[in-house]
Amino acid sequence: MSNDFTRREALKKLAMTTGVIGLGLSGVLAACGDDEETTSDTAAPSTDGASAPATDASTGGAPSGDPIKVGVLTDITGPFSVVGLSNQAIAQFTIDKINAEGGVLGRPLEMVLVDSATDPAIGAQVARKLVEQDKVAMVIGGIASNMREAIKSVIATRGNTMYIWPASYEGNECTELVFNTGQAPNQQLDPFIPYLLENAGKTFFLAGADYIYPRNILGKVRELVEAGGGTVVGEEYYPLDATDISALQNKVLSSEAEVLFSVVVLPLSIPFHKAIIDGGFTGKIAGTLFDETSQILFADAATGMLASQDYFFSVDSPAGTEVREAFAAAYPDASFSSTFNTPAWYRSFYLWKNAVETAGSLDTDAVAAAMDTAVFEGNPGGPAAMKAGTKHCSLPIFIGEVQADGSVKELLSAGTIDPTECG
Amino acid sequence: MDTAIRAVFDTLSLTSILVLLVLGMAVIVSMMRVFNLCHGELVLLGAACSLLSERWFGSALVGMLLAPFVVGLIGFALERSIISRFTGRPAGALLATFAIGLIIREITRARMTVQALPVTPPIDGTFAVGGALLSTWRLVLIVAVLVILFGCWLLVSRTDIGLRVRATLDNPGLAEAAGIPTRLVFSGTYAFGAALAGLAGALIVPVQTFYPDLGVQYLVRSFIAVMLGGLGTFLGPIFGAGTIGVASGLLPLWIDGYITDVIIIVAAIVVMRVRPAGLFSRGGS
Repeated sequence: MSNDFTRREALKKLAMTTGVIGLGLSGVLAACGDDEETTSDTAAPSTDGASAPATDASTGGAPSGDPIKVGVLTDITGPFSVVGLSNQAIAQFTIDKINAEGGVLGRPLEMVLVDSATDPAIGAQVARKLVEQDKVAMVIGGIASNMREAIKSVIATRGNTMYIWPASYEGNECTELVFNTGQAPNQQLDPFIPYLLENAGKTFFLAGADYIYPRNILGKVRELVEAGGGTVVGEEYYPLDATDISALQNKVLSSEAEVLFSVVVLPLSIPFHKAIIDGGFTGKIAGTLFDETSQILFADAATGMLASQDYFFSVDSPAGTEVREAFAAAYPDASFSSTFNTPAWYRSFYLWKNAVETAGSLDTDAVAAAMDTAVFEGNPGGPAAMKAGTKHCSLPIFIGEVQADGSVKELLSAGTIDPTECG
Repeated sequence: MDTAIRAVFDTLSLTSILVLLVLGMAVIVSMMRVFNLCHGELVLLGAACSLLSERWFGSALVGMLLAPFVVGLIGFALERSIISRFTGRPAGALLATFAIGLIIREITRARMTVQALPVTPPIDGTFAVGGALLSTWRLVLIVAVLVILFGCWLLVSRTDIGLRVRATLDNPGLAEAAGIPTRLVFSGTYAFGAALAGLAGALIVPVQTFYPDLGVQYLVRSFIAVMLGGLGTFLGPIFGAGTIGVASGLLPLWIDGYITDVIIIVAAIVVMRVRPAGLFSRGGS
């Protein structure tokens, strides 16, 4: 039999192989080459043109010289895209504001934005790009803790670049070069639980999704409740991918607790809180995830929810009000709320600016040493200051109650609360 | 006592929801042997009908009535244009339906400015049984599912259309020879499954909340229910859904949530190993 590997076959195979290799190569080149595009001019939520707010610039003229690149890493796509787009907006807003005020060390800031797509594996890749290709001066970002865990070693440990984590979280992050500007558990809870014990009730039911954040928070709540003379009548967790938590609702209603401390997260938090109220729950609902967005999510069930955050819109803070209103004007679709980490993102840039200007250079070790005690007087709600030796930030903390119109009424200003992490 | 009343009612409600979700998938899997990975997104589209209806007309009711037709039409179009090209190639159909689902889901996500949106049930409120306050809409859902089940059974087993459909699925060649338009039957069957999925989404979303990944969460459970109950019969997947619904509703009262999931899936695997054709399947199909 003749060999059926004819010339036609050979040419066909050659064409196919070349085509596949060509496609592959161009894909790789495209991925490597173009990311300079994803800077500030890509789809930030709608801005009315002039993004630089009317400035009361104190620090002299326009910044000049080579821009300082700042890496902004957040979830623009994927399940957390709503929060990510808000983060992108506040980052752009703050950078524009700092540039209008004279920049950092007289140089303008330039945002290098990357999308971690709510996927820690992708986050690690884009973090590497920021550090190795763009050689950014610092990286700020991450929404969920699993993202932080995936990117921190790429940025800080192996990349020797400062990483700022601007989110309230479960604590225990003490890695070198990682600075936490969001609330640690003790900051939200130390003033909150005694307030609840005194004003809401002594019997607590703790409910949360089953992962590290609710587990850590509720563990701390239990400690504080019991230390304060209260009782925990139930503590239940549900799997994150559950589609129905009727059993949990049933247990909460049966417990007849005076306070439900809820770290139930989206999406089930919406039907959960409604079902609790409809089912006749007469106690107070308190949590670490409530703020001005609660009424949008939970409708009537949100009224009366008790919240503890680093900032509420109703707080008497001229700096906060000014920034918030300017931001809302420039980016109407974004949110300045605490649960979107917006105040934390805003203060992070200024804390870093303070550190750089104290150090007088962009040298990572010098800036890190200065960042240890960086301060920002204009923080919404009250001055913020990094607590020496902890890599965490002392913050003003407020306790509030969600009103029927969605606003949060301030019930108590707890003053500046120091973090107890890494000490 | 109140706890028990709530537990029974919640389990009935959960089971009815699962049955409704599984119905649409069962039609397509049993009859067309297509593992419809965009089933969840057809449910999502139905839920969108309720959401938009509330936004445009003030009540989700209009959306609920229209959802089966809207989603059924979409299903018909999908089958005609994309899925029919993979007849006889289940792997291709799997990939195609997965891709369709992904596209629908991500378009939905791109158009949302919040993470999740609540939908108000047309009949809201609670009613009391003993000391327990139960959701009225969940009761409406239970009744609706029973009505839909009965209607489907009537359609499939007692009508002329149902007869032609069953003939086509049993033996397409002979049916074609007998003058039954088999192409149309396949498209129509897919559309019917899609319509059921859409109706499920529209009715269920007030009890849950509208978010882009709504369909994905139910997909795995639906598949397990269908495999557990067995392909080829109408009642098989219904019983599969019933089993899983009861287990999912009652077990978490005594056992931690995540262990419950594990138990259910392990049990399903064991059953499928012992009776690969499912608990209630017709022999040989």
